[in-house]
Amino acid sequence: MSKHDSPTDDPTTAGPTPDSTGKTGAIDINDLSKIYDPEGERVVAVEGMDLDVEAEEFVALLGPSGCGKSTVMECIAGYLEPTDGEVLVDGNTISEPDPKRGVVFQENRLFPWKTIKENVEFGPRMHKGVEEGRAESILDEMGLDGFEASYPSGLSGGMQQRAELARLLANDPAIMLMDEPFSALDALTKEIMQKKLLEVWERDNRTVLFITHDVEEAILLADRVVIMTARPGQVKDVIDVDIERPRDPEVVTTDRFTELRERALSVIREEAQRALEQEEGG
Amino acid sequence: MSAESLERLQRQVGNWTVPLPSKRVRQLLSIALFLALWSAAVRVGFLGFDKFVGPETTFQTMLSALGGTPMTDGGETIYEHSAYSALRVLVAVTIAILVAIPLGLTIGTSRRWEDALFPALEVFRPVPPVAWVPIALLLMPTFRSGVIFVVFVGAFFPILVNTIEGVRTVEEEYVQAAASLGAESRDIFRHVIIPATLPSIVTGVSLGVGLAWITVVAAEMIAGGVGIGYIIFQAYRLLQTDVVAVGMIAIGFLGYVSAAAVHQTGNYLTRWQEID
Repeated sequence: MSKHDSPTDDPTTAGPTPDSTGKTGAIDINDLSKIYDPEGERVVAVEGMDLDVEAEEFVALLGPSGCGKSTVMECIAGYLEPTDGEVLVDGNTISEPDPKRGVVFQENRLFPWKTIKENVEFGPRMHKGVEEGRAESILDEMGLDGFEASYPSGLSGGMQQRAELARLLANDPAIMLMDEPFSALDALTKEIMQKKLLEVWERDNRTVLFITHDVEEAILLADRVVIMTARPGQVKDVIDVDIERPRDPEVVTTDRFTELRERALSVIREEAQRALEQEEGG
Repeated sequence: MSAESLERLQRQVGNWTVPLPSKRVRQLLSIALFLALWSAAVRVGFLGFDKFVGPETTFQTMLSALGGTPMTDGGETIYEHSAYSALRVLVAVTIAILVAIPLGLTIGTSRRWEDALFPALEVFRPVPPVAWVPIALLLMPTFRSGVIFVVFVGAFFPILVNTIEGVRTVEEEYVQAAASLGAESRDIFRHVIIPATLPSIVTGVSLGVGLAWITVVAAEMIAGGVGIGYIIFQAYRLLQTDVVAVGMIAIGFLGYVSAAAVHQTGNYLTRWQEID
C-alpha cells in the first residue's frame, strides 16, 4: 500500500489507478466549464478547459485576475460541481472533497478555535489516527517549534501560512492544491516559503497545482507553467520550465530564467489587456 | 506640541495646576453625585419623589436587612429572598441553555427542521415573557415551577435566536477546509460548526440572563410568594418604600454579579478569539 492510499472506503469510486510508473496524484481536466448564474446574471468563468497534470508534477496556473483560476481549483478540490466536462483524479471522477487532495488558500483557514498543534493533527485524527510526535516534527521543520499551544490569532501572517502548510503536510495528500498561498506575504517571508515548498516537494513526490499571478514565482517553482486566457478561462499557452532542480530562489538571475519570464510575460500582457477591455466593455 | 503637553497645559488654570483625579476617585464622585441628586429630589419633592425614601434611610434599612432582619411581613431574610430569585434564574437559564442550544444548532444546520419548527417559534417570540404568567399559574399551581417556566421563556429566545444566527454565519471556508482534511459531516458539526457558533451562543446566553432577571422580578411580583420581586411589591403595598429601595439595590447587585460571571465564562470558552 502506497503512503498516499486513503484508508477510507469511497463506494462511489474505484481505488486509485496508478499510472504505468506506479505513481498516484494525476489530474485530468476534460472540457471543463463552469457557469455561475446568480440572479440571472450569467457569468462564464471557465469554458472548455483541458489540462492534464501528471502524477508528482509541479504545475503553476498563471493568469490575469478574474480568469477563473480559482474556479478550476475549487472544481478539483470538490467544492464546486462543473457545469460541463469533468475532472478525473487517477482516472476517477471526483465528486466531493477528499483528504487525498489537500488545499491551501491565500487567507489562512486554520481553525481559530484550535491550537496550532490541534490544527496540524486535525487531518490525521479524522481518518487515520494521530501519530505521536509527528505534529511536533512537522512544526519543527516549518520553524514553528514552541508555538504548538498557541492559537492562530497569536501568530503573524507568515507563521499562520507556515502552520497551514504544516497542517496540509501532516495529512499526507497525494495532491496539493495551492491558491495564491504566498501572495499576501512580504517579499522576504514569501521567498522563505517558496524555498520551503520546493524542499518539501522535491523530497516527498506529490502533485502540486499552484495558482499564482506572479510570473517569477510560477517559473521558479513549476515544471510547467500553464497560462490561462481572460474570462472565460481556458488554457492559452504552456511553458515547459527546463531549469535544473533542485532550484533555489537565486535562479531568477540566470539568463534562461529571464528568457522564460519574458515569454510568459508577453502572453500574459495580451490576456491582461483583453481582460481590461472586457471590464471596460461591461 | 505633543498631545500630552497640550493636555497638561489645559489643566493649568492661571498659576494653578489642577490635577486630574484618578479613575477610582472619579467613579466615587459619580456615585456621590447620584446619591446627592436622589436625596435632593426626595427633599424638594421633584416629580413626587417626596413620597419616596431618601438614601440615608435606605442605607439604614439595608444594614438591618444585611444583619438578617426579616423583610416585610414574612419571616424570610434578604438572603433567603435573594437565594430564591437567584435559584429561579439559575434553573430557568440552565433549562433554556439545554433546550435552546441543541434546538438552535438543529434549526441552523437543517433546512427541513427550520421549516418545521421556526415559523411556530417566530409566532411566540414577540410575546413578552410576563404574558405567560396566567398560563403558568393555570398549568403549574406551585409558585416555584410557575415562575421558573416564565423565566425560562424569557431566557429561551435570545439563546435560540443567537445560536441559529451563529450557525448561519459560520464561514463556508472552514467547512471546506475540514472536508478537505478528511472530516465527515459529523466531525464538521463537532469540530467546526459548534466552536464557530460559540461566540454567538455566549452573546445569546448573556442576553438571556439579563432577560431572566427582568422576567423573574416581574413574575415574582405577580405570583412569587417569595423572592426579591415579591418583597419589592409587598413592601410597596405596605408603604415600606425603604424596603422597596433595598430590594431594587439587591436585584441590581445580583444582576451585576451574574452578568460578570457569564462574561468571564464566555471569555474563557472563546479564549481563542482575537482580543481587540
